[in-house]
Amino acid sequence: MAGALRWIVFAIAVLAMNFPIIVTLITSLKSQRELSTNPGLWISQPTLDNYLEVLTQTSRFNIYAYLLNSTVAALIGTGLAIVLAFPAAYAIARSEAGKRLVLPIVINLRAVPLIIFAIPLYMMYQWLGLLDTRIGLGLILTIVNAPLALVILVNAISDVPVELDEAAKVDDASSLQVMMMIVRPVIRPALVTTFIFGFITAWNEFLFGLMLTTSRAVPMTVGASFFFAASGGGVKWGTASAVMMLGALPPALLGLVMYRQISGSMTAGAVKG
Amino acid sequence: MALVTRAEGRMYLTPLVGFLLLFLGFPAIVNLIYSISAVTFETLRSPVLSGFSNYVAVLNDREFWSSAWFSLRFGILTASAECLIGLFLAIFLAPLLSKRPVLMAPLMLPLMVAPAMVGLMYRLVLHEFAGPVPYYLFEWFGDSPAFLDINNAFRTLVVVETLQWTPFAFLLFYMAYSAIPLDVREASSLDGASPFEIVRWIDLPLMKPTLVIAFFIRFIDGFRVFDNVYALTGSGAGGSTTSLSIYIYQAFFKEGAIGKAVAASVVLFMASFIVLHCLNRLAGRRKR
Repeated sequence: MAGALRWIVFAIAVLAMNFPIIVTLITSLKSQRELSTNPGLWISQPTLDNYLEVLTQTSRFNIYAYLLNSTVAALIGTGLAIVLAFPAAYAIARSEAGKRLVLPIVINLRAVPLIIFAIPLYMMYQWLGLLDTRIGLGLILTIVNAPLALVILVNAISDVPVELDEAAKVDDASSLQVMMMIVRPVIRPALVTTFIFGFITAWNEFLFGLMLTTSRAVPMTVGASFFFAASGGGVKWGTASAVMMLGALPPALLGLVMYRQISGSMTAGAVKG
Repeated sequence: MALVTRAEGRMYLTPLVGFLLLFLGFPAIVNLIYSISAVTFETLRSPVLSGFSNYVAVLNDREFWSSAWFSLRFGILTASAECLIGLFLAIFLAPLLSKRPVLMAPLMLPLMVAPAMVGLMYRLVLHEFAGPVPYYLFEWFGDSPAFLDINNAFRTLVVVETLQWTPFAFLLFYMAYSAIPLDVREASSLDGASPFEIVRWIDLPLMKPTLVIAFFIRFIDGFRVFDNVYALTGSGAGGSTTSLSIYIYQAFFKEGAIGKAVAASVVLFMASFIVLHCLNRLAGRRKR
């Protein structure tokens, strides 16, 4: 009895929280004609026409460009964040440096509204010629990803037994060698998790994409909103839905496959920090 | 002997610290200078100091205070709703989820979709002709409210934000709840405690730190909300959905009022600094 009730509550929660995704998916599978008569949650004649249109008619809305921009910027923003955070995390976990100032400041960065840096960054980018470039966007996404990357990696390195480092030290390895050849392979799973989570976060970022790009480097999240703005009052809901589904697909797929690892990293710093 | 000397440690920290100083430290200084200068897009490189007139302008701007009020209410309401529903789901669904962990995946799915994208999706969901919600409300009740007009936009946005981010609170609570040793509960159950009493007197006190942290994380995220509000309503009818982040964005990009936008940024920075400072003090006291 209680078991059945739990299933019901579970089903309601899943439906309610995923409702916009479900509606968008259903709408994306309806034909233009059916859309004008049937806004409900069933489909009488499912079709892939909307996806075909989005993927083939790229003269007005080139979805490949947006997807590529998002991919490149997210890869830069995630890769660089890890490259910067890994040695820092090693230093914090294994030496006296950085514990008192760097770690708390970077952790708190996560809670600072990043818009307060947006205006000077916009001007700085203008001077440096980084406006509307994938690299520029990637550099900002590095800032967005750095705090959580640092927390996850500090936690992971702290869990590695110190004896492992000591043994290598006895064999005359330098700390750089220990970091790269002993610690790095051991915490590989944490590095992968950081990468996946960082990629999803970077892909889903919107504010800086909106402010710092205008045409060449526009990411998917911003591109999708352009699609709405460009079509004015007469939004073609079928194709719009296909655009939204395609834009949401990469992070959603990654998330569904890796949900276990992600639940750990999402709560890092909240439960352990 | 330390495994990594302090000097080596500093060396390993340098790339990250240098990067952050360049991308956040430098902008912070620019913020401070511009906030006390008269500056336009034409005089970007030669701002003229003008004292605190930008701050005076911001603090006298009714728009600023109404957006601050929006952000505060939005943050408190969404954080409370997310934590209450998340807590209920975590405790009530725990027996189901511990047996079938894969059920976590659909519950976490909303967290994987960009808030901006979810905002756009709700344009469809709530659209008066194409959206299923108004459609069914008309079918069943013969009437449907205008979800995004000046009277309802705030409530609609609270629901949108809550539905997307309840999974986050739920996730934190579920992990904290699962970490409570079973024998604690079994012992109190043997002593004749009802399930409700166990939750009230055993689980909740043990989960209290997580409750506080989840509330603050969600409050801060709600307070600085931008993406989904911008995508769904913009600043809304009559500016009714202008959050602080949107206020700053519009002051800069729409009005070109650089000084005002920057001064508002500094005020927001101070406010978040104070909140974070209090939170850290609180957390520090707990650890001791």
